[in-house]
Amino acid sequence: MDMNEIKEIFFQECEEQLAELESGLLRLNDGDRDPETVNAVFRAVHSIKGGAGAFGLDDLVSFAHVFETTLDCVRSNKLEPTQEVLKVMLKSADVLADLTNVARDGGSVDQARSAQLIRELEALAKGEAPPAASAAEPAAPKAVAAKPAPVAKAAPVEPVVNEHGFAPVAFSFDDFGGDEDEAVSDLPAYDIVFKPKSELYTKGNEATLLLRDLSRLGEMSIHCNMDSLPPLDQMDPEAAYFSWKVSIKTDKGEDAVRSVFEFAEWDCDLEVTAMETGEASESASDDLPMQPVPFDLSALDGDLDVPLGVVEEEEQIAAAQEAVAAAETASNVVQMAGNASRAAASEKSAAAAAAAQNNAQQASSAAAPTIRVDLDRVDRLINLVGELVINQAMLSQSVIENDSNGVSSINMGLEELQQLTREIQDSVMAIRAQPVKPVFQRMARTVREIADITGKSVRLVTEGENTEVDKTVIDKLAEPLTHMIRNAVDHGLEMPEKRLAAGKSAEGTVKLTAKHRSGRIVIELSDDGAGINREKVRQKAIDNDLIAADANLSDEEIDNLIFHAGFSTADKVSDLSGRGVGMDVVKRSIQALGGRINISSKPGHGSVFTMSLPLTLAVLDGMVVTVAGQTLVVPLTAIVETLQPDAAAIHSFGATQRLISIRNSFCPLVDVGRILNFRATQANPVEGVALLVESEGGGQRALMVDAIQGQRQVVIKSLEANYTHVPGIAAATILGDGRVALILDVDAVVSASRGQSLQLESSLAAAG
Amino acid sequence: MATKKAARKSLSLAPILDLNEANALHGKLMGLRGNALVIDASAVERVGALCVQVLMAGAKSWEEDKQSFTFAKVSDAFTKTTQLIGVNIDHLMAKEI
Repeated sequence: MDMNEIKEIFFQECEEQLAELESGLLRLNDGDRDPETVNAVFRAVHSIKGGAGAFGLDDLVSFAHVFETTLDCVRSNKLEPTQEVLKVMLKSADVLADLTNVARDGGSVDQARSAQLIRELEALAKGEAPPAASAAEPAAPKAVAAKPAPVAKAAPVEPVVNEHGFAPVAFSFDDFGGDEDEAVSDLPAYDIVFKPKSELYTKGNEATLLLRDLSRLGEMSIHCNMDSLPPLDQMDPEAAYFSWKVSIKTDKGEDAVRSVFEFAEWDCDLEVTAMETGEASESASDDLPMQPVPFDLSALDGDLDVPLGVVEEEEQIAAAQEAVAAAETASNVVQMAGNASRAAASEKSAAAAAAAQNNAQQASSAAAPTIRVDLDRVDRLINLVGELVINQAMLSQSVIENDSNGVSSINMGLEELQQLTREIQDSVMAIRAQPVKPVFQRMARTVREIADITGKSVRLVTEGENTEVDKTVIDKLAEPLTHMIRNAVDHGLEMPEKRLAAGKSAEGTVKLTAKHRSGRIVIELSDDGAGINREKVRQKAIDNDLIAADANLSDEEIDNLIFHAGFSTADKVSDLSGRGVGMDVVKRSIQALGGRINISSKPGHGSVFTMSLPLTLAVLDGMVVTVAGQTLVVPLTAIVETLQPDAAAIHSFGATQRLISIRNSFCPLVDVGRILNFRATQANPVEGVALLVESEGGGQRALMVDAIQGQRQVVIKSLEANYTHVPGIAAATILGDGRVALILDVDAVVSASRGQSLQLESSLAAAG
Repeated sequence: MATKKAARKSLSLAPILDLNEANALHGKLMGLRGNALVIDASAVERVGALCVQVLMAGAKSWEEDKQSFTFAKVSDAFTKTTQLIGVNIDHLMAKEI
C-alpha cells in the first residue's frame, strides 16, 4: 500500500468523521448534553487533525487544532455549548469540510472566512463571547472555569530560587476572570509524584505528553526536580534525570489521573495521593516551588500526538461505542504511521511505519464488519446482473416459443432461475443502496449559510435520514435539493419580524423528510413560511406570456407555474436564488432521475414540495406496449390504470384534441404514436388501449397505445450514454427477444400533449 | 549549527527535539564547551523532556565554566513546553540592554 492509498483512506475516514462531527453538533444544538456526544465531536476533529498532521496538511491541522482546543473547553465543561457557541462550531465544521476537500481535490478555501472562524473559536476558548454574539448575549459564555489558580496565589509570590537558579514563574490569570473561583477550589485535589525511568523514553513515550494530558484534567501546578541531573559531560542524553511533583485539582477523579500514565506505568515510579480539599496547594507549596501550568497549551498540540494510547486514552475511556473507538484507533495508527514516516530518516522507523499502517488497516476492518469496495466494481457487477436478467428473459422467451404447453421441466427450472435472478438483482441493488443522510447533512450546511446571508433564523428538521436509495440517485439529489432549500429559506420563509407579526415564532422551520412509498423514495421539503403568493405568481406568468390574462387556473396549477422555465417571483436577483437557475432546472433534474415533483402550498402556512424518485436507476418495472409497430416500455409507477376505450367515451375537442370520459370526468387522450411521430395521423382510439397516467402536476392523461404485451422488469440502458438524447424517451432496454425497446418519458409526452413541442428529431425513427 | 565568532558561539536548535535529537544535541553542546553560547530556539516546534535535560545540563556545565549560556530567541512551543514541565528558563533568556 503506498502513501496515496493511505491518504485516500484518510480522506474517506475524514468524510465519516465530518459526518459524525456535524451530526454531533446538531444533536448538541438540539439540546443533547450527553458527554458522549461531546466526546464524539471532539474525537472527530481530533482524528482529522491527527491524520492531516501525518500527511503534512498544515492548513487543515492548524484549523482543526484551534477547533479542537475550543471543543476541549466544551468537553471539560469550561465552555457552555450555547446556541451561539454551536453556531460558530457548525460554521467551523463547514470550513473543516472545505479544508478537507481542498486538501484532497485541490482548489482554495475562503481564507478570510477561515481566519474569522479561527478568531471566533479562539475567543470562545478564552471565554470571550464570539464576536458575532457579543452584542446579543454578552453574559452567555461565562465560559472558562479554568480560572486562575488558587495555586498561583498559594504559591510563593517571591521567587524561590533553587540551587540551579530556577525560579517559579509568576503567571497572571487576570484575563480568565479575576478572583478565585469557589467551584474550582472545592474540586478534589491530587498530589502526584512522577519519576520516569529511562525505559519510558526509549520505548517512545514522552514525559511532556503525559504531563500535557495531565494538565488537561484540571488546574495544575508543577515542580520539576532536577537534583539528579549531572553536568553535561557526565550525562547519558537518553537517560531520565528529571522527575516531577504535580499538584492538580480536577473533578475527573483519581482513575482519570492514573489513566494518563496507564501506558507508562511500568516505566516510571508514580504516586498519586488524593488530598483533602484545599490541602494540595498548601502542602505542595510548603515544600517545593510549584509552578502553575499555563491554561493555554495549544502551542504544544500540533505535533505531539505521537504515542498512541497515551494521548487518546481519555477519549477512549469515554467512548461508549466500540466501533467508534476502534475507528479512531485506526486513524490514529495511520496518523502514527505518518508521523513516524515523516520524522524518521532511518530504515528502522520506516519499517515501524509500515507495520503501523498494517495495524491501521487491521484496526479499520475490525471497526465494523464492512469493506470498502470501489464503486466501479459494484457498477460492473450491476451491469453483469442486468445482462443476466436480459439473458434469462431471452432464454425464457425461446423456451416458451418452443414449448407451447408450458409444462416441461425446462420451463419450471426457468421459473426458478427467474426468481433467483430477481433475488440476485435485489441483493446487488442493496449493495448500492445508501442512506440519504449525507445529502441531508449537506443541506444543514446550506440552510446555515443562507440563513446567515438572509438574516433569517432557520431551523432544519430532518426525518428518515436512514431511508436508503441507490447511490446514483443520492449523488444526483444534492443539487436540486440544495436549490430547493435555498428557495425555501430565501423565498419561502419570512423575515423574523414578519413572522412575529404573523403570530409565528421568529425562527422558521424547514423540514426535510424521506420515506419509502410503494417502491419509490418520497422526499418532502416543507417550510412554515408564507406559502406561495398565488396572485404574484399568476401575474408573473401573465407578464411572461406563460398564461393568458384571463386563464382560469386552479390553485394547484398556479402553484405549479413556478416550475416553468425562467420563472422567478423574486423582485430582485439575490445571491441565493433567482440567479436564472429556476425551479424548472430542479424539476428537470428530478425528472432526469425518473422522478416527479409536486408542490402544495397554503397561504400563511408554508409550502410542501414532494419528490417521488425511483429507488434505483438500474432497473424498473415497466409495462411493455406496442405503438405503431414499435415496442415501448411505460414505467409502471406512472400508470394509474389501463382501459379499453369505448367509442361512446371518446369526444372530440377542437380540431385535433380528443377527450375520453372516465367515470364522469374528461381526460385528454394522447396518441403516443402521433406524439412521437411514429405515424402521421392519429390512430383510432377504439382499436387501442388507453393507459391512464398521472403527470407530475397531478393531472391525468390517457396515453393511447396499440396493445399491451405484458409487464416485466427491465434493465435500464442510458440512451444518452450509448446514443443520444431522444425527446419523449427516457432510456432504452433490451427485451427477452434481444430487441431494443425504448422507455417512454411519460412526463415529457404529457407536456408535449399540452402543446409544448417535443422537438422531435429525425433521429428518433432511427433510434426506434 | 555552530557559527564561528570570536569567543561566542551560537546554536540553532532543530524544529523537532525528540529522543533521536537528544544525542545529537548533546554532541553539539559538548563541542561548544568553553565558549559563551547563544541558543536560538525560535524554530522549535516540538521538544521532549530528554532534550530539555540536555539543555539544562548544558546550562549547569556552562555555569560551572563561568561562561554565559543564553537563549536568544525561543518559539512559543518551546516556552510552553518548559512551562508545562516546570522548567524555568527565564534566567537564561538573553537580556536586552
